[in-house]
Amino acid sequence: MISSYTFGIYPRSEELIEATRKNTENLASLVQSETDGYITAQKNANLGFISDPLLKWDDIYRPFSNLASVNLSSLNRIYEMNTFYRILSFDGPNFINGDNVVQSNLDSSLPRNKTVAIPEPFTFAECHTSKEFKTKEDFTMNLAKMLRAEINSLVESGFEVIQLLAPSIAYNKEVDFGIVSDALKIITDGLNAKTILHTYFGDVSTKIESLLGLPVSGLGFDITTTPTSSIEKHSFSDKILTVGIINSFNTAIEKPQECIKQIDEINAKTKPKESYVSNNFDLEYIPKEFAMNKISVLGEIARGAKDV
Amino acid sequence: MSKLFPTQEIGSLKKPADMLKKVKDPNVSDEEKIKVRNDAAISNIKTLEDIGLDIVYDGEVRRVEMYEEPVRYVDGFEFAGRVRSWDNKYYNKARVVGPVAFKQNFHAEEFNFVKENSNRELKVPITGAYTLADWSYDEHYKSKDELVLALAKNVVRPLVKDLVGLGAKIIQIDEPAATTHPAEMDIFRESINESVKGIDAKFVVHACFSGNDYQALAPQMPEIKAQQYTLEFANRDTWKEGLDDDSRKGFQVLKLFKEHGFEGEIGIGVSDVHVNEIESPELIRDRILYAAKALGDPTKVYVNPDCGLRTRTREVSFDKIRSMVKGAELARKATS
Repeated sequence: MISSYTFGIYPRSEELIEATRKNTENLASLVQSETDGYITAQKNANLGFISDPLLKWDDIYRPFSNLASVNLSSLNRIYEMNTFYRILSFDGPNFINGDNVVQSNLDSSLPRNKTVAIPEPFTFAECHTSKEFKTKEDFTMNLAKMLRAEINSLVESGFEVIQLLAPSIAYNKEVDFGIVSDALKIITDGLNAKTILHTYFGDVSTKIESLLGLPVSGLGFDITTTPTSSIEKHSFSDKILTVGIINSFNTAIEKPQECIKQIDEINAKTKPKESYVSNNFDLEYIPKEFAMNKISVLGEIARGAKDV
Repeated sequence: MSKLFPTQEIGSLKKPADMLKKVKDPNVSDEEKIKVRNDAAISNIKTLEDIGLDIVYDGEVRRVEMYEEPVRYVDGFEFAGRVRSWDNKYYNKARVVGPVAFKQNFHAEEFNFVKENSNRELKVPITGAYTLADWSYDEHYKSKDELVLALAKNVVRPLVKDLVGLGAKIIQIDEPAATTHPAEMDIFRESINESVKGIDAKFVVHACFSGNDYQALAPQMPEIKAQQYTLEFANRDTWKEGLDDDSRKGFQVLKLFKEHGFEGEIGIGVSDVHVNEIESPELIRDRILYAAKALGDPTKVYVNPDCGLRTRTREVSFDKIRSMVKGAELARKATS
C-alpha cells in the first residue's frame, strides 16, 4: 500500500450550480453538505491525506483577491482548457504578509491527515499582473513571501502536506529554473511540512533533471502529458514521487489493476523516497458523478500498489 | 461580392427576454412557442437588414448554444453533465461513447425559415469538428485525431452537404477551440478539408483569438480549403483613429497571413464583443483601410464584429453593427 491524496477544485453538483446561480436560502447548507460528502468519500476511499473540495472557490486564485491592494481583473483562459480564471492585479505592496486567505476559505472539519494545494510562485506570477513590481522576478519573489505567510498559518493549523501547483513550469517552453528555485526556497526553507510540486498541462520530460534539483520534498506528474518512460529514466531516491494516475479530463474510469501494475513498474525503476498517487489536475473538469467514482478508484490503486 | 468591404455578422445575438420567458413556460402551447421563435428570428433578420448588413442570418435565435445544439442530434454522444466555463457559468459537456454519426440536418428548419424571410446573402454558422471533439470527453476513439476526423467525415460533411442541397451558398465553420492548441494545427487543417471535401460552396472559417495571436494558424491558412477567415482583431487593437502600425496594432498579424501566402478573404473583426463601448465609424473606417493595405487588395476585406455578440445586450449589439456599417461606408468613400 502507498499513500494518496487529491488536489484542486472539485465539481459542483447540478443542484449546487443552480443554488449558486439563484443565491438560494439553502446555499450555505448545501455547500457544507456537499463538502462533507466529498470529505467522506475521500475517507471511505482510505486516501492518505484529505483535501477540502474548494466548492466555494471560483478558481484556484480567487481567495487571494481578498488580500490588500489586490484587484480582480479580466477573464483569462486556463492554458489550453475551455475554462477561464480571473486575472488578479497586485497594485500595491501590502499583500506580502498574507492574511490567512487560504485557511479562512477552507472547511474547518478536515481531519488531522489533511493536505491543501496552492499555486507556486512562478506559476502565480505568470498568470497575474502587477503595477507595483517592475520585473517578473521581483513580482515572483514577493508572491513567494505572501505564499510563505499563508503556508505558515496552514502548517500551524495542522496541514502536513502542501501541494504546490506548477502548471506554468510544465506549459512554458522556457522556464528560468533559477527564479523558480529562489522562490521555492522562500516557501520551503525551514518549513515543517512536506511540499510536493505538481506539474501538469505540459510534458516536462526535458525538465525533470531541473525539477529534481528544486528545494521541495517531492514532485508530482501528470502522466497524460509527461510519459512514464521519461519519469522512469530518473532516480527519486531523495524525493517523494506522486503519480497523477487519475485523469481529471476524461470521464472514462481508470481500471485499478492496470494502474496498480503501472505504479509498481514506475516505482521499481525510480525507487522513490515515498510514493503517492493522485489526480493529474482539478477534478472539476469532470461532473460530480464521475469525480466520485474516480476518488474511489484512486483509493483502490493506492491500496493495491506495493509499498516502497 | 462586387461591393467593396461587405458587412456581415458572425452568428449569435442575445436572445430576446420575452421569447425566452415564453419558450420556458410550461403553460405556453407548442404552437405558440414555434410562433415566438419565428417572430424572434424575423425580428433579428429584419433588424440586421434594416441596419444595412450585406450578409445576414437569424442571430442563432433557435439554438441552445454552439456545442450543445449539434451534440443533441449526433449519434455517439451522451451528455455527462455540466463543467465550469468560469465562476458559476457552466456548459453541458458530452461523452463520446460510440461511433459518431449524422442523424438529421438539425439546421434545416432554421435555414429554410431564414431563406424564406430574407433577400440578402445568407451565411450559415455551424460548429466545426475540431471544436466538437475538443469540448467533449472521448471514451471511444483511440486518439483525438481519430475523433476529429470521424466528426468531420461522418457528421459535419453530411450536414454541410445537406445545407448546400437546401440552397446554402456560404457556410461558416465555427472553430473557437482551434487556436487554443497551437500544436494541433495539422489535425485542425485536416478536419476542415475533410468537412468540405467534394462540396461546392463558399466556406468561411471562424476562429477566436488565443494567446498565440493566430501565429500557429497563419502557416496553415493557404492549405485549408476555406475562401475566407473571420477572425478577431478589435479586442487587442487601440481605440485611436489612424492608419499607422501603433494605432492598428491589433491588425498587424494580417501581414503574417500574407507572408505565409494566404490569398483569400479575411472577415476582419472591427468591433470588440467583450465591451459595451461603441466603436466610432471613423475608427472602424481606419481599421478597414489598414487591413486593405496590409492584405494588398481591398476586395479581400469583409467587415464583421470580432465574434458573436450574444454576451452584449441587444441594444449594444445593434449599435455596434450600425456603427460598423457606417464605418464600411466611410472606408468605401475613402477608397473610391
